[in-house]
Amino acid sequence: MKEYLKNTWLGIYTVLVGMKITFKHLFTPAVTIQYPEVKLKLPERERNRLYVNIDDCIGCDQCSRACPVSCIDIETVKSIPGEDLGTTSNGKKKAFWVTNFTIDFAKCCYCQLCVFPCPTECIYMTDVFEFSTYERNDLVYQFSNLTKEEAEQKKINFANFQAEKEKQKAAAATAPKTENPSQPNTN
Amino acid sequence: MNYYDILFYLFAIITLVSAGFVVTTRNVIYSAFFLLFTFFGVAGIYVLLAADFIAVVQIMVYVGGILILLLFGVMLTNKITNVDIRTGTGNLLPASIAVGLLMGALVSVMIYTGWKVQPGEVPDTSIKQLGALLITDYLLIFELLGILLLIALIGAASIARRDKE
Amino acid sequence: MYQYFYELTGSVIISTLITAVFPLVNVLLVALLGVYLERKVSAWMQDRVGPNRAGPFGLFQTVADFIKMLQKEDATALDIDKKLYNIAPVLVFAGSFAVYAVIPFSSKLIGSEIEVGLFYALAVSSFVVAGILMAGWSSNNKYSLLGAMRSAAQIVSYEIPTALVVLAMVMFLGTLSLSKISEMQTAYFWNWNILGGAEFGLVKFLLIPFMVVGFVIIFISTLAEVNRTPFDIPEAESELVAGYFTEYCGMKWAMFMLSEYGNMFAVSAIVSILFFGGYQSPFGYLGNTLGIEWLIPYEQAFWFILKGWFFIFVQMWLRWTLPRLRVDQLMTVCWKYLIPYAFVNLIIIGIITLL
Repeated sequence: MKEYLKNTWLGIYTVLVGMKITFKHLFTPAVTIQYPEVKLKLPERERNRLYVNIDDCIGCDQCSRACPVSCIDIETVKSIPGEDLGTTSNGKKKAFWVTNFTIDFAKCCYCQLCVFPCPTECIYMTDVFEFSTYERNDLVYQFSNLTKEEAEQKKINFANFQAEKEKQKAAAATAPKTENPSQPNTN
Repeated sequence: MNYYDILFYLFAIITLVSAGFVVTTRNVIYSAFFLLFTFFGVAGIYVLLAADFIAVVQIMVYVGGILILLLFGVMLTNKITNVDIRTGTGNLLPASIAVGLLMGALVSVMIYTGWKVQPGEVPDTSIKQLGALLITDYLLIFELLGILLLIALIGAASIARRDKE
Repeated sequence: MYQYFYELTGSVIISTLITAVFPLVNVLLVALLGVYLERKVSAWMQDRVGPNRAGPFGLFQTVADFIKMLQKEDATALDIDKKLYNIAPVLVFAGSFAVYAVIPFSSKLIGSEIEVGLFYALAVSSFVVAGILMAGWSSNNKYSLLGAMRSAAQIVSYEIPTALVVLAMVMFLGTLSLSKISEMQTAYFWNWNILGGAEFGLVKFLLIPFMVVGFVIIFISTLAEVNRTPFDIPEAESELVAGYFTEYCGMKWAMFMLSEYGNMFAVSAIVSILFFGGYQSPFGYLGNTLGIEWLIPYEQAFWFILKGWFFIFVQMWLRWTLPRLRVDQLMTVCWKYLIPYAFVNLIIIGIITLL
């Protein structure tokens, strides 16, 4: 009988204790972070979307080779003499037209391995992490600042230059035989 | 024909049709559920007879108690997940003779009884009179019923515990 | 209300229908706001924010959910019992809505002032049990059937302590009519039954502890009857998916939810009528002080709905406080604790009433 009453009392009392706790929590402010409006401060060395400062890129292809998932695709064209590509911000002379520099963020694993080999520090992590799209192709980012026509032009230029050089070489090879003075190169 | 007549025929149809289905349907579960509508119709007729208490008791005891018990029995004693709960009809001839005799007796009673037809004086409620009658005129029967129920309860409990020894 | 519309329209059918619309609107509002409040209360108790996207403070969340539900495909399993499967949600909702016929929202707003109102309210809930069994069986799913069985067993057992407390209150009050019970507790809150009713002297003070016990018992057992946590083993989502309405979707599922919230308000209303004065205001009426007679029924409806919502809130509060009871614990609470206490309470209240 004593135990019975004790059980009853315990049953009611413990329920009331629990109710008191939940009632207190009714007025505790929420700990939720309302994500799209309020954002947590990102850590200092966060790894998010890559960015390539194409003005500094010398087209050395080292980042592409470092990438473990091959998500960086670089295509370069040698500049021809007479074209001045300028220098990078740390004073290196640029020698390549970067005709194509794409990073596929659908593949990217955000390992940051591409950042370290870059000699000009032109590829780096930004703090952008919200870039979902509706199309998978939209995740392929093009960083080259040349338009398609320009890139084509550069390729043709280089091909012409190469052809010219070949011609010259051929001419130089045949010159001693014929001993004809070569035409001045006007290209 | 006023609203009460319409309601009466509505409840009567519900009662009779569902009672018919209770008897004829071959699926025990269906029978049990049609019984629900039969009880409901009977309760409605009680309400129309100004027997509010009886109507509510009808629902409480028959729907809330007996029907639920019945459903439990049917659902737990058959293969649960199969719909194959069916009843057959055997002994058609003796059964129909017996039922015919019983029905004849009932109908003759119905026809030859001199019904006391009173002008409709609907009492506001029937609880007070019912309570008074139970405690005065029918006290003995009331008490005996109580004892009977108690015996049934104890008997059920003892049967349920028997195999423990 | 019925009388008023009967005089206005002169038709029995139209006035009945209009009278029936009000509780229906109430049930819909309870479901609409109840789901919202449930989510908000649970969020606040767990230090979260809760729905806050749709509309101001997320108020239109349930409306959005409802529109979503309307658009849903009515997917049904293959081997279900089509007829019973379709009838069951209607039966469950009809059972829970039928209770509203006798609930007095105010002194003017009551469907039917039948003398056996309290008893009727207890009785029609058995349709809900039948409907639940029907839903569980016709779904042809073991989880549904188990949930239905548990639900029926639970409701049937917890009807006993409810009935015993109601019996005690009927002995004390001498009537089964809900509107008469409400009228008896008029004027101020010390006339409420939980504080000994409209009596004075020693009897009143003797009654208070037993009334409190009665209130606790009936509150616990009605909580079990509407399958709310901690008594929610019929729809224990971690064991039985969703219990008896696992196989339902779209609007049929919504009918079950509607009846659940309708039931919640109905039992809250019955508890508040029995112990907390029903539609009576605790501090007297503004209409009386200002001399505006027509204001009083509106005030009464306001207090009634406020009390109903308060008990719904307590139900939610308990839901987010307590874990689910095991089935043997459930039966222990009912048969070993509530019923003996209810019996003793019944006898004591009877004796005190005789004094």
